[in-house]
Amino acid sequence: MVTLRQRRQLTNRLMVVLSTGATLFGLFWLGWIMLTTLRYGLGALSHRLFTEMTPPPGSEGGLLNAFYGSLMMIVIAIGIGAPIGILAGTFLAEYHRHTHQGAVIRFVNDILLSAPSIVIGLFVYEVLIRRLGHFSGWGGGIALAIIMLPVVVRTTDEMLQLLPANLREAAFALGIPRWKVVSAVLYRAASAGILTGVLLAVARISGETAPLLFTALNNQYWSGSPSGPLANVPVVIFQFAMSPYDSWHALAWAGAFIVTLFVLGLAVLSRSILARGKVRQ
Amino acid sequence: MVHKNPHDEAPTRLSLRDVNFYYGDRHALKDVSMDFADRRITAIVGPSGCGKSTLLRIFNRIYSLYPGQRATGTVLLDGQDILANSTPVNELRAKVGMVLQTPTPFPLSIRDNVALAVKYHENLSRVDVDERVEGALRQAALWEEVKGHLNKSALSLSGGQQQRLCIARAIAVQPQIILMDEPTSALDPIATLKIEDLLSELEKRYTIIIVTHNMQQAARVSDYTAFMLMGKLIEFGPTERIFTDPVEKETNAYVTGRFG
Repeated sequence: MVTLRQRRQLTNRLMVVLSTGATLFGLFWLGWIMLTTLRYGLGALSHRLFTEMTPPPGSEGGLLNAFYGSLMMIVIAIGIGAPIGILAGTFLAEYHRHTHQGAVIRFVNDILLSAPSIVIGLFVYEVLIRRLGHFSGWGGGIALAIIMLPVVVRTTDEMLQLLPANLREAAFALGIPRWKVVSAVLYRAASAGILTGVLLAVARISGETAPLLFTALNNQYWSGSPSGPLANVPVVIFQFAMSPYDSWHALAWAGAFIVTLFVLGLAVLSRSILARGKVRQ
Repeated sequence: MVHKNPHDEAPTRLSLRDVNFYYGDRHALKDVSMDFADRRITAIVGPSGCGKSTLLRIFNRIYSLYPGQRATGTVLLDGQDILANSTPVNELRAKVGMVLQTPTPFPLSIRDNVALAVKYHENLSRVDVDERVEGALRQAALWEEVKGHLNKSALSLSGGQQQRLCIARAIAVQPQIILMDEPTSALDPIATLKIEDLLSELEKRYTIIIVTHNMQQAARVSDYTAFMLMGKLIEFGPTERIFTDPVEKETNAYVTGRFG
C-alpha cells in the first residue's frame, strides 16, 4: 500500500530524472555536433586556415577570403540593422508601449522575425541584384540586416520596458525632455541588454546561407570590396561539402567548426555582459 | 525642527483650489484646496491609499507620463496655473524638484548625475557647472564624502548617500519647491536622521513638501501638516496643533494611532 507521501516523493524523483534526462539528451547532440566538426575538420585546422585562400579542387588551402567576406557582410549588416533596430525599439518602448499602433507594429515585427531567410534573400535578389546585373556583397549585407533587424527591435523594446518606472520618473522630474532622458539615462541603463540583443542577432546571421546564395553568392578569389560576388563561410561550406574532393571536405568541416565556435563565443560573451550589468546595479 | 508661532507671516507659495484627480475612472482626490507657505516644510500624512502621493505628483505634473491619469482644478505657483496646458512642463519641473522614495541614481558618474539637468537647462561654462555641482553636493551634506571621487559611478554609493545624491540632483537646478515622497522610508535609521537634519537647513532656501507615512517624522521635521483620508483633505494647520490638539475627530483618531 503506497501512502500519499510516498507517491508524491516518487513523482518528484521521476520528474527530476525526466528533466535531467531531457537536458542531457539535448546536450548530447550539441556535444556530438561539436566533436564531429572538430574530428573531421582537424586535418584542416591550422594557421593556414586563416592565412590562405580557398583552393582550386584537389589542392590544400585555407578560408581566408571566406572569413573576410563573412566578416565584411556582418559589419555591413550591423551598420544597417543595429541603428535602425535600436531606434525602432526605442520608438515602441517610449511612445507606443500600450497603444494599438504599438501592438500592430510589434505583430508585424514578429512576422518579419519568423520570415524564412530564403524569402528575404529572394527579395533582395529581385530588388537589388537583378538591377545591378551581378552578385554583390552589399546585397548580402542588406539581406543579413533585414534578418537581424526584428531581433534588435524586439530586444531593445523589451530591455527598455524592463527599466524601473522610478528611474524614468526621476529623469523626467528634472525637467529634461524625452529624447534626452532616453539618450542620457535610459540607453546607459539598458546598455547591457541592448548590446546583448545585437550580439544575439549577429549570432543568428552568422550561419545564414540561403539569403547569401541569392545575393553575394561566392567568390573563389580574393575580393576586398563588397561590390561584387563575395566569398563567405556558409556558402563555401555548402559548395565544398557537396564536392567529391577530400581537401575541400576537410575545409568545409573546419569552417563549420569555426562558425559554431564563433556563435558559442557570442552567446557566452552576451551572457557575461548581462551578468556584469546586473552586478553593477 | 522649527516651532512656528501661530502667527507665522510666511507668504503663500503654492495654492490649490478644488483640485480633483482621476486614475481612469477612479476618483482619487476630491476637491482639495490648500495653501503652502513659502520656505516652510509642509508634511502630508495619512493612511495608505489616502491620496497623499497622488497629491504630491500633481505639483510637477509627473502624472502626465501616464495616459489615463488627469487632474482638474487650479494650482497656482507664482500666479501661474501649473495645471494649464499653456505652462511648459519642463520649465515647471525645473522649478519644482522631486525626490522619490527609493534612491534612483542614474548609471552615470556622481558629477554627471548632478550636472545632467543643469547642463540642459542653462548654458553655463564648465567651471560654473562644477561650482553648481559642488554647491548642490554641499547643501545635500554629501560633498565631504564624495569630493575626491566625482568620477566614480553613482551606483557605488550606499543607499543613504544615493538618496542625498538625488537631493543634490534636484537642488542643482535651483528649484523653488522640493517635493519629497517618503524620502527616508527605504533607508536605515542613521541615514534617515542625516536627511532629516538636512531638511532644516534646506528649508531656509526652498519650500519643501514631504509625504510621509511616519507620523513621528512629520512631527519632528515639519512646520505645517496636512492630514488626508480617502482622497479628501481633512485638516491642515501648524504641526504642533495637528498633533496635540486637532479639530477633526478623524485627525484625532489618526494621530493617536487608532488607525494607520
